[in-house]
Amino acid sequence: MSSETTPPVSKLFFAEAIARALHEAMSRDPRVIVLGQDVGRYGGPYREFSGLHAAFGGRRVRDTPVAEASMVGLGVGAAAAGLRPVVSITYMDFLLLGLDPLVNYGAKLRYKTGGQLGAPVVVKTTAGARGQGVAHSQCIESWLVGVPGLKVVAPSTPADAWGLMHAALQEDGPVVYVDHKRLFPTAGELARDAVPVPIGRAVVRRRGADVTIATHSYMCRVADSAADRLAALGVACEIVDLRTLAPLDVDTVCESAARTGALVTLEEGQLACGIGAEVAYRVREKTGTMRVARVGALPAPVSSNPVLEAASVPGPDEVVEAVRGLLRP
Amino acid sequence: MIRKLAVPGPIEDVEELRVLMWHGGEGTAFAKGDLIVELETHKAIVEVRAGGPGVLRKILCAEGGWEKAGRALALVGDDPADPLPGSTDALEACPAEFDVV
Repeated sequence: MSSETTPPVSKLFFAEAIARALHEAMSRDPRVIVLGQDVGRYGGPYREFSGLHAAFGGRRVRDTPVAEASMVGLGVGAAAAGLRPVVSITYMDFLLLGLDPLVNYGAKLRYKTGGQLGAPVVVKTTAGARGQGVAHSQCIESWLVGVPGLKVVAPSTPADAWGLMHAALQEDGPVVYVDHKRLFPTAGELARDAVPVPIGRAVVRRRGADVTIATHSYMCRVADSAADRLAALGVACEIVDLRTLAPLDVDTVCESAARTGALVTLEEGQLACGIGAEVAYRVREKTGTMRVARVGALPAPVSSNPVLEAASVPGPDEVVEAVRGLLRP
Repeated sequence: MIRKLAVPGPIEDVEELRVLMWHGGEGTAFAKGDLIVELETHKAIVEVRAGGPGVLRKILCAEGGWEKAGRALALVGDDPADPLPGSTDALEACPAEFDVV
């Protein structure tokens, strides 16, 4: 017996949290497989599949050609046939190629078959601007949230990356798991006795009485930087991390916004028909009047030029400005 | 003279690194170019090599431990008899070379 006591939390990188969740799920459930580009010996484009090929072999951790429609199609089909595939689409931009099998087959399968078949597939994909130009940078999660039968999650911390992957792998239908390039360098703590993060449950990351910022994924960190600056100006921000985008946890946002009396939505994607538009409308529907401002990307492609990239996606400056504009008497 | 061996930085996007392996223990003498410690980022190993001769006096961050860019990982000295200071705040950084592998 070891005299060492196991610490109650361990610290790990974001990618390690994904790999740990997958390792645990694959150890427990032989139906869980991984398909994608470079997921095998290479360990994943962001090392998020590291160690899985060595532990579970090439039959369960399969490299695929660069053919996203086929990859998602295979995943949906394998899910319908009884497996629980995780399909890795490296850049979210290329999920577009896989939308037909995902939206028209995967998301509708249970409905179409009267519940006889389901497609419990997890499509894991990476969004976000980080120096890779127009077609490797987009945050298009808002395109997915209106698809009945499809769930969409977007963790912002290693603990949620772990907890939402476990939750996604327990679902009966397809889940799109959206992470972000700028989250991979981050580290955070994960409790030894952590349990899956329930899908459809937002969380308050920071308490404040003056304004609610509802956001998700990497923008939680941008919101936090903005909140630090606003704190110096005497404005206390409450940050709600949505965590799941479909279904949205409107209640948690409403409860916060009702207390603070003002709501700023923040997303890295486009504002038109965006997550913020949906959140703002649904909060107003429930709370009646509510001061609302939305912050999102400029209506322009994300440039490969780092100066233009930074100008096109929201940063703390834009959040501070939006909050100050909203609270100005 | 006691100097601090600090986490290199800033490295873009990297807030914290993890100590993967110390190449030597407290009291180990090293020459210029010797590998002192390997650090881990989310995707790379950073080799920290001595920029000159010295002695590893005190390890402040054990293997598996985390530290932020610019913070002290260890104290190094020229003379094994130099007394160790109580705080690392005022210490100069010791010369070191960093290779991302």
